[in-house]
Amino acid sequence: MMQIEPYIFSNVVTLLLILGGAFVARSVSRERLWREAAVTLWTRRRFAIVVVGLYMTIGLFDSVAWKGGIPEDAIDVLPNAPLTLVDRAFLGTKEASYSSPFASVEFYGGSALKHPGSHPFGTDILGRDVLYLSLKGARVALLIGGLTSLIAIPLALIFGVGAGYFGGRFDDFVFFLISTLASMPGILLLIALIMAMGRGTLSVCIALGVTSWVGFCRLTRAETLKLRELDYVYAARALGVPEFRIVLRHILPNLAHLIVITFVLMFSGLVLSEAVLAWLGIGVDGSWGQMIDGARDELSRDPIIWWNLLASGASLFVLILAVNAVGDAIRDVLDPRTLKEPS
Amino acid sequence: MGAYVIRRLAYGVGVIVGVLFLLFLLFFTVTQPDDIARRALGEKVSVEVIEQWKVNHGYDRPLWPWQDWDDNLLFEHYRRMLTFDFGVSDADDSPIIDRIRAGVGPSLSLTVPLLVLGILGGIPLSLLVAFFRETYIDRTGVFLCVLAMSVSIILYIVGAQYLIGKVLRWYPISGFDADLLMLPRFLALPIIVGLLSGIGGDVRFYRTVFLEESTRDFIRTARAKGASEPRIMTHHVLRNALIPILTRVVLAIPFLFTGALLLEAFFGIPGLGSMTFDAIQANDFSTLRTMVFIGSLAFVLGQIATDLSYGLVDPRVRFE
Amino acid sequence: MRLAGRAGGDEVRGLPSANASLHVGIIAGLAFLLSPLLGCSNDPYPPAKEGEKVLYSSFIDAPRTLDPATAYTTRAHAITGAVYDTLLKYHFLKRPLELMPGLVVALPERTELGDGRVRYRFELREDLLYADDECFRLAGLDRTTREVVSQDVAFQLSRIADPEVGSPVIEPFSNILGFAEFGQRLTARREADPKFILRPVHEQYAAVGGIAGVVTPSIQVLEITLHRAYPQIKYWFAMEFTTPVPWEAVLVYDGKEGRPRFDDHPVGTGPYVLVEYDKQARYVLERSPNWYGVRHPEWKAPSAVFPSEGDEEDRRAGRLEYAGRSLPFIDRVEVRREKESIPRFNKFLQGYYDASGIIKESFDKVIQEDALSPEMVARGISLGKSVALDVFYIGFNLDDGVVGRGRGERSRKLRQAMSLAIDVEEYLRIFMNGRGVLAQSPIPPGIYGYRPEYKNPYTRVDLDRARTLMVEAGYPGGIDPTTGEALRLTFDSYDTSTAGMTQVRFYTSAWKQIGIDVRIEATNYNQFQEKLRNGAYQVFQFGWVADYPDPENFFFLLWSEMGKSKFGGPNGANFSNAAFDQLFESMKSRENGPRRMEEIREMTAILEHERPWIELFHREDYSLYHGWVRNVKPMGISAPTYQYRDIDPARRKADRLDWNKPIVWPAYALFAAGVLIVLPGIRTYLKERQ
Repeated sequence: MMQIEPYIFSNVVTLLLILGGAFVARSVSRERLWREAAVTLWTRRRFAIVVVGLYMTIGLFDSVAWKGGIPEDAIDVLPNAPLTLVDRAFLGTKEASYSSPFASVEFYGGSALKHPGSHPFGTDILGRDVLYLSLKGARVALLIGGLTSLIAIPLALIFGVGAGYFGGRFDDFVFFLISTLASMPGILLLIALIMAMGRGTLSVCIALGVTSWVGFCRLTRAETLKLRELDYVYAARALGVPEFRIVLRHILPNLAHLIVITFVLMFSGLVLSEAVLAWLGIGVDGSWGQMIDGARDELSRDPIIWWNLLASGASLFVLILAVNAVGDAIRDVLDPRTLKEPS
Repeated sequence: MGAYVIRRLAYGVGVIVGVLFLLFLLFFTVTQPDDIARRALGEKVSVEVIEQWKVNHGYDRPLWPWQDWDDNLLFEHYRRMLTFDFGVSDADDSPIIDRIRAGVGPSLSLTVPLLVLGILGGIPLSLLVAFFRETYIDRTGVFLCVLAMSVSIILYIVGAQYLIGKVLRWYPISGFDADLLMLPRFLALPIIVGLLSGIGGDVRFYRTVFLEESTRDFIRTARAKGASEPRIMTHHVLRNALIPILTRVVLAIPFLFTGALLLEAFFGIPGLGSMTFDAIQANDFSTLRTMVFIGSLAFVLGQIATDLSYGLVDPRVRFE
Repeated sequence: MRLAGRAGGDEVRGLPSANASLHVGIIAGLAFLLSPLLGCSNDPYPPAKEGEKVLYSSFIDAPRTLDPATAYTTRAHAITGAVYDTLLKYHFLKRPLELMPGLVVALPERTELGDGRVRYRFELREDLLYADDECFRLAGLDRTTREVVSQDVAFQLSRIADPEVGSPVIEPFSNILGFAEFGQRLTARREADPKFILRPVHEQYAAVGGIAGVVTPSIQVLEITLHRAYPQIKYWFAMEFTTPVPWEAVLVYDGKEGRPRFDDHPVGTGPYVLVEYDKQARYVLERSPNWYGVRHPEWKAPSAVFPSEGDEEDRRAGRLEYAGRSLPFIDRVEVRREKESIPRFNKFLQGYYDASGIIKESFDKVIQEDALSPEMVARGISLGKSVALDVFYIGFNLDDGVVGRGRGERSRKLRQAMSLAIDVEEYLRIFMNGRGVLAQSPIPPGIYGYRPEYKNPYTRVDLDRARTLMVEAGYPGGIDPTTGEALRLTFDSYDTSTAGMTQVRFYTSAWKQIGIDVRIEATNYNQFQEKLRNGAYQVFQFGWVADYPDPENFFFLLWSEMGKSKFGGPNGANFSNAAFDQLFESMKSRENGPRRMEEIREMTAILEHERPWIELFHREDYSLYHGWVRNVKPMGISAPTYQYRDIDPARRKADRLDWNKPIVWPAYALFAAGVLIVLPGIRTYLKERQ
């Protein structure tokens, strides 16, 4: 069996994401309703959108990797390893240990740095550039938010739309499943799932997905119940259009705005949840949550190491703030009535 | 009404049965009793000791009813949970029910003031923000809320312990004492942190509710009749906003009992949240599944209470 | 806090006008902000009784058990060491550690019986009492204590042999004649007769006839016969495993009908009694009036008076001023639970804990140029340093196909190369503030066989040599010729915390320099042990803390009979070397002397070449204690020392008050800021209304 190397897979996914993004952009620009919404959104939250875009760009840059082109004398990388654009930008910047931002000597001990003045956010305990680590965190955060949404949203749609549209026993079953899952304390269920599945990005995402699809499922079920009663759905059914086609043509497109809103609002919650998991020792490697957890102790170092916490905390905070701001605006623009604050 | 109550209760029972089944899947099939035993007893024990331990903890049965109808873990799991016979902790053999009894007090002493102060702080603040809607106070308020919501709770905890505990020396950095004179000083810091981390979401939620209510027709009528704006806010808006507020509060009550996991663990409050945290650290599965069960039970009961209490608050709601 | 609640409480009950509601809001806010001033104190303790000497300490997690037959952790020994007294004790001041009589009159007499058998004779002191406890009355006595007899020690040894107790130290005691057979007889009897198990445990032991090598000729005398020489046995009599245990306590405290379990309710002979035990929050030890040191100060028993022999440092620290005084000095020990290290250390700095280690975060503030910083000195804090009797190492699984013995010379060269890439000194500097001694062999300083002049050529960094060895091992530049990629290995870690991962990354990035791609697999301890059992691992890190000060307790970690995957022993490297085994078995039963030294030297040489371990370091303990605390001296192993400590309560009270004055102006500033934000809005509103 031929083994696909992870980096090639990552490159392909990145390419698909870019193509997908372009396709969505084209679809949006073609439909008046969506186009207008996009324009309003842009005028309202220009800055936040730019910030989110910046994070996404960094995440994409960190997903494109290739082998070769590494200088012979680089000792902090493995031979013949695939490196991303971000990796390459920071190649060979490793110091021995802590140094404060723009310093020329080490923080403890005061021996000279290899690259004085080149670490705008300083270096961490292993001498790695903190800016580099913060940038790497962007990809992890997007991965957590994105992958989990990719698990949770289809799950919620299948069950929610199915239950709402077909009703009957299936609806009873889904409603029961939702009530059961919703009545288990979220954080405990999350922990139990990860403890059962083991650590790792994928199991964290699956666990987050399982615990977060419930709310959205409830929403799609309620919306589908309403849409099912609309005249044109009745008309389609009377004309003998297959059920599956009705769902695809008439129900799903009418849920599109909900999907967008939920995706954005869920995203920030997921990334923040990961920070809590990181504190419990079951987070994702390289995440800001993990950096914050590590920096927590450094904050009480004396003299204080503040740049680690500041960089990771601020990276997380700014992304969440920007996503929250965009999310609020999207909700106002697309759907001022159906959705209330998640309570 | 009576039929509705019965139906509602029956559904609640169904949900509990479902929760217990999920728990069984997670804690008996994914993690086998053998693993739990090894973890609890350490390395050097022999197979006999493990078997003995499984007997002592009631794990020495087949998993499924089709393996042994009279004596299997699935039925045993249901029987024990539903009769509140939680058995002993997998980690240290102490009876779980004792620890729950000991933990409820500390948990409530943290979460009840937290909930009450959250409401007492959140409602006036959001009334204020809603009252000054579309002014700089509203905008600053909403911005501060989003700001407060975007900070990880861990940062709040670390920050408060450092600033208020270490630098300003107002309160002990962590700890607990059930003595009434000592209690407030230990609770002050976790309550401040809990309020800060929760207030953003609360105020934003209440504000939306208030604003929604304040655009209704009867409010306009009241305004046209010349009622003063503050009177409108407190009399008409607040009163009509009670339902969503009540829902939120009642749904929060079950979590009073399960405690605040992070706050208790960080501030050393020996409540149920802290107990859950320890159970996670120690792979104490029997305690963990008991806590999930109790949390779910409280949640289901809370939901039933909410549904039934709608009728008391709002005459428009009728039980069908 | 309370005031704020009440003021706000009125508000919900419904108020006539909005102005009033605003006012109440303001009052509530005001009360909330002023509340720091009202109940403001950061003292975590209720006021102590006048004239009582209380020691304040902390624990992280309550131990799983306090049963002296099974408790095997430092955190358990912190309690059992104070509650249970042992037959032998370590001298508090002498280093290297030296045994002296505890509950016994003199050190045990050793007699050679021929055919390898050895007998030890212990003679207990007369008139030793257990601490007062209800169990004696419940078991039918007319008082709450009874005299300690040698049968109680025999009972405890039987408990260690009893498979149902699950003692972790069966192996060393198996040197006692008939020890294993006793356990087998017990199990056989229990299986044969279901009613047998219902009888009280002490009767069961008597019924199967006791351990052949444990004899009690009188209620004072205990004779232990070993079927083979095992000089280390005497150290086990300085540990709580062999303390006298009353059968009444084991019988009564069974956890049924509301009675506590023996695991949580110790009944012993020690200087302290556990009077309160809340595993979640706190425990309290109080001095026992029944301790022989208190009841018979006239005996001047060596373990009941402060020692008079010490070194120059003891003299300087004023410890020798206590020479000859009766123990203990402290009346109560209050121990609070502190899960997080930083709050714990901060409370120490605030004066609320009497002694503390130094957390790495604050090291640079506390220690400057290898001495206490001026700030700490000004606070009257003192520092104690000692090298712990432990060793930390990276182990290779020698059963593995890549790093293990299967590949012979190739994998040996690989292990040597990996050894040469690790800069332990740098590791100590970064992660442990330099608090450690580079390990050259498994033996730490302070243990017989440690040679200060010995330098292991593989425990320093030499990247050039490492790269040459990589070429010789068949991985030029780290490239594995079979894949064309960097050689990939797995490092198994049982610490999933962020800090733990960072430490492991130090090693992996060191190996990166010689081109090896070491992936970290962090799991919880359980899963880690599972992997070790199954042999599914390559590289791991581990540490070992000595049970007793003897080289045997370190070298047995590499003895083939202790192999992890085959026998479930602590030899995680699965090291199995005939020459090493032979030397070990001979060294094990030999008394200290030139022959033993030579054997140790040869064993070290084998390890140096074979590299089953990369020896990392022995920890250096730095402990801090406040000016009011006297007589803190680290032992290097877990041994009880509460009874030697003393404090000056008046000085502590004054210092605490002085250090903990709250700073309150930010509360006012915050409140003012709030008012400044809201006021203009109210003014605008009032203007509009007019």
